[in-house]
Order: sequence, then C-alpha cells, then structure tokens
Amino acid sequence: MNEKALEINNLRKSYGAIDAVKGISLSIKRGEFFGFLGPNGAGKTTTIKCVTGIAVFQSGTIKVFGIDAVRDYREARKKIGLAPQEFNVDIFAKTRDILWYVGGFYGIPRELRKKRIEEILDKFELTVHAGKPFQQLSGGLKRRVMLARAMIHDPDLLILDEPTAGVDVEMRHDLWRYLQEMNKAGKTILLTSHYLEEVEMLCGRIAIINHGKIAAIGDKKDFIEGGHKLEHAYLEITRGEKNNESA
Amino acid sequence: MKARNVNWIGLQTFISREVARMFRVWIQVLVAPWSSALLYIFIFGRIVGARIGLIENVAYIDFVLPGLVMLNLINSSFLHSSSSLYFMRFVKHIEELLVAPLSYLEMIVGFVCGGIIRGLVVGLGVYALALLFTIATIEHFLLFVFYSVSISMIFALLGMLVGLWAKNFEQLSLPSIFLITPLTFLGGMFNSITMMPQKLQFLMRLNPFFYFVDGLRYSMLGISESNLAIGLGLIAVLILTLGWLVWYLFKIGYRIRE
Repeated sequence: MNEKALEINNLRKSYGAIDAVKGISLSIKRGEFFGFLGPNGAGKTTTIKCVTGIAVFQSGTIKVFGIDAVRDYREARKKIGLAPQEFNVDIFAKTRDILWYVGGFYGIPRELRKKRIEEILDKFELTVHAGKPFQQLSGGLKRRVMLARAMIHDPDLLILDEPTAGVDVEMRHDLWRYLQEMNKAGKTILLTSHYLEEVEMLCGRIAIINHGKIAAIGDKKDFIEGGHKLEHAYLEITRGEKNNESA
Repeated sequence: MKARNVNWIGLQTFISREVARMFRVWIQVLVAPWSSALLYIFIFGRIVGARIGLIENVAYIDFVLPGLVMLNLINSSFLHSSSSLYFMRFVKHIEELLVAPLSYLEMIVGFVCGGIIRGLVVGLGVYALALLFTIATIEHFLLFVFYSVSISMIFALLGMLVGLWAKNFEQLSLPSIFLITPLTFLGGMFNSITMMPQKLQFLMRLNPFFYFVDGLRYSMLGISESNLAIGLGLIAVLILTLGWLVWYLFKIGYRIRE
C-alpha cells in the first residue's frame, strides 16, 4: 500500500509568459488533513487543476497513491474527488441528476449508484433539495452539492478548493463536521481556504505557496508555536517574501 | 484500446445525459424543425410541387423530401454537438468530464452519439411528417440508415470543432447560417442538377453536400445524379479526417484544458 496519497515533483505550469507554478514539490501522506494556503494568484488552484487534469502542465510529475496522473490518468482520477472553487456544474440540472451522471462517469453501476446517491443526499442533508435545479439552490446548498458530487465515487483523496467560501457560519460548521468525519474515516483531504482559523482547526500539516513557489511547509505546530495564531505565521511568510522581493 | 478497458458505464451515462439535455429543450430541438419542415413540405411539395410536375420521373414532393430530411439531419446533429460542447466550456462544466476517468475517445464518442441521435430523431420525424402528404418510399433501407448515420456523424464532428473554436454564441451560429444551409440548398435539395445552367453544374459537383443529398435520395427513391462511389469515399474521408482532428484537439486540450 502506497503511503503517499499525493506526490508532486518539480511541477511547472505557465499561462503564456506568466509562470503560475514554478517547480513546486510536495507530498501528502495517506490519511492526512493537509492545508494548502496562499494569497490570491499564488498558484493553489493552478496546482489543483494540474493534479486533477483540468490543466496541462509543462514539466514535473504528479502521482496519486503512486499512480502517475498523466500516464495512468484514468486510474489516478478514480482516486480523486474534487470540489472546486467555482460552481462548474450544469446549472439547469437537478441535484439528483448531477450526482447520477457524475456517479456514472466514474463507472458506478446503476443499482449501486442509486443506493450511493440516497446515502450521500442524506449525509449532506440534501434529500429535500434533490429535485431542485442547481441554479435554484442557495449558496450554502450549492457548496454542499459540490461536496456531495466530489464524494459520490467514494474517493480516497478529497481536494477541496475553498469549500466554505460564501457559506454562512452555521453551514460552515456543518461542513467542518463532515470533513472531520471523512478524515476520521480514512480519507486524505487537501484543503485550500482563506479562512485561516478553519485551516488551523482542521489541518495537521500545512504548506504556504506564494508567487508559484512553496514558501513554507510543515506540521501545524511549527506554524503556531509560541502561542501564535496561524494568521501571524502566514502574514510573516507572505509579507516577508514581499519585502524580500521589494529589497 | 481494449473493449474491457472502455468505461462503458461512463460512456453510456454521458450519452444518456446528452439525450436528456436534448429533451429538456424539446420545443427548440424538435418542434421548431418539424414545424418548419411541415411548412416546406406543404408549400414546396404540395402547393408549388403540384404545378411543377415530375422530376426524374418522381413527384416533386418526393424529389424534395430527401433533401429536406438531409437538411434537418445535418442541422440537428451539428447544432447538438456544437452547442453542447460550447455550453459545457462556457459554464465550465466540461471540467466534470475532464476530472472523470473518461478517455478522450469516450468523450468524443459521447458527443458524437448525442449528435447522431438528435439528427436521426429530427430527420426521421420530418420523414414521418411527409407521410401525411405522400407515400415517401425507402428503396434501399440499409443505405438509408448508412447515409443518415454517417452524415450525422460528420456534422456532429464538425459541430464539435466549432464548439471548441467558438468564443461566443454568435460564432457558434455562423457555420449553420453561412455554410450548412446555403450548401445544402445549392446541393440539389430542391432541384435536379440538370435544371442548373451547364457551368453551374460543375460547381454543384464540387459541393460535398450534393453527394450527401443525392446519396440519401438514391436510398429513398432509387434515382441518382452523382457518382455514388465518390460520395461514399467522401463520407469515409470526412469521418476519418474530422474524427482525427477532434481527437487531436482533445488530446492537446485545445480550449478545454487550461
């Protein structure tokens, strides 16, 4: 059994003349709850897009549970569930249909898919909204649908790109509870968020990316030692880099 | 790719989603082309056709019908795949496919099957409507199926190219307005090639749509004005060329992957 859920080596990705990711390397162990932080435009979402196949990268390697994400992309993608930052969904489709089709794409047989959809609708308290088109749902419910969609094929690695953006406090607490339950059940989670308190509460290990490079990586305790909040270390690292660049 | 490696459930799900999407806007997809075709059949076939008499020894309504079926078949398969792919790019839900364990070939087959199904449903619907006015024979049933499916496939693939290329909704509609409809009309939909001036007959033979309309007309009426072998060769070349081009663009992620 491969102990590394995700292994990124020297990943480079540019958009024309702009280098979005400049040779980053990181690995996430199986069962970890990993926080991936950085300012807007730092390269978090680009890295995630490279891992999931949404973006084509120029060089480097990505392995998901030891499987090459380019060469054996089908096997690698079966292992990943993605809840992206944007609502990349057919907005006219009903919640149940979204789950039905995506479950099918992952090759889940009909009967098993039906059962799985009912379970997941129940888990995310979406059963009463199952017949509603996505566009009619509130922001918080849409986030839950995205999470349910990411979980439909029971992936081992869950990648959540700002899953609580625009979600009210109560819903955010519910989402935190779901994520903790999933992590306890053995799922590896990669979380990006601008809410540092949620990263501090949920994640065991953290990486900070800035200007396309990993600026810091380590256990949570390394970032909060001396009784500091994570925000303190985060600002110190990102502002420090900014100052270094200015100098 | 070995058959056992194909994600059959994924592919079947994708095709069923495409079909469901088609019926979600059934007025636009089905009622609109059928009502237009009904008007064509009634005005050109019944009213005007009664004064024209026989063309190639068949009633005008029967002569026009294969062209009308072809026009609807082409338009529907083209519009389905182009709009489906463009809309998925536009709202970014193409990412649902990209992150799933589907190969490029499976994605392409899914879009093309959606286009073929829509083309056949609309085209056969036009044929069924024509039965209200004429006998509408099918002389060579297997050839009829072959032409219907293969030409739908060509235009579903062409629709995918446009769906990838288009940057806005206006660009999406340009090929249908400036390419498909004029070339079908000029490809012998309403008239025999012998009715054209001598110099234009040569141009008509350079129009690939002439071979599509004539091939379907042969399968329905048993009469042909073109060399059917050229038409069959053209169909094979177009399917292979367009299929390869779409596959290549998917492989490099042209306008679908970042």
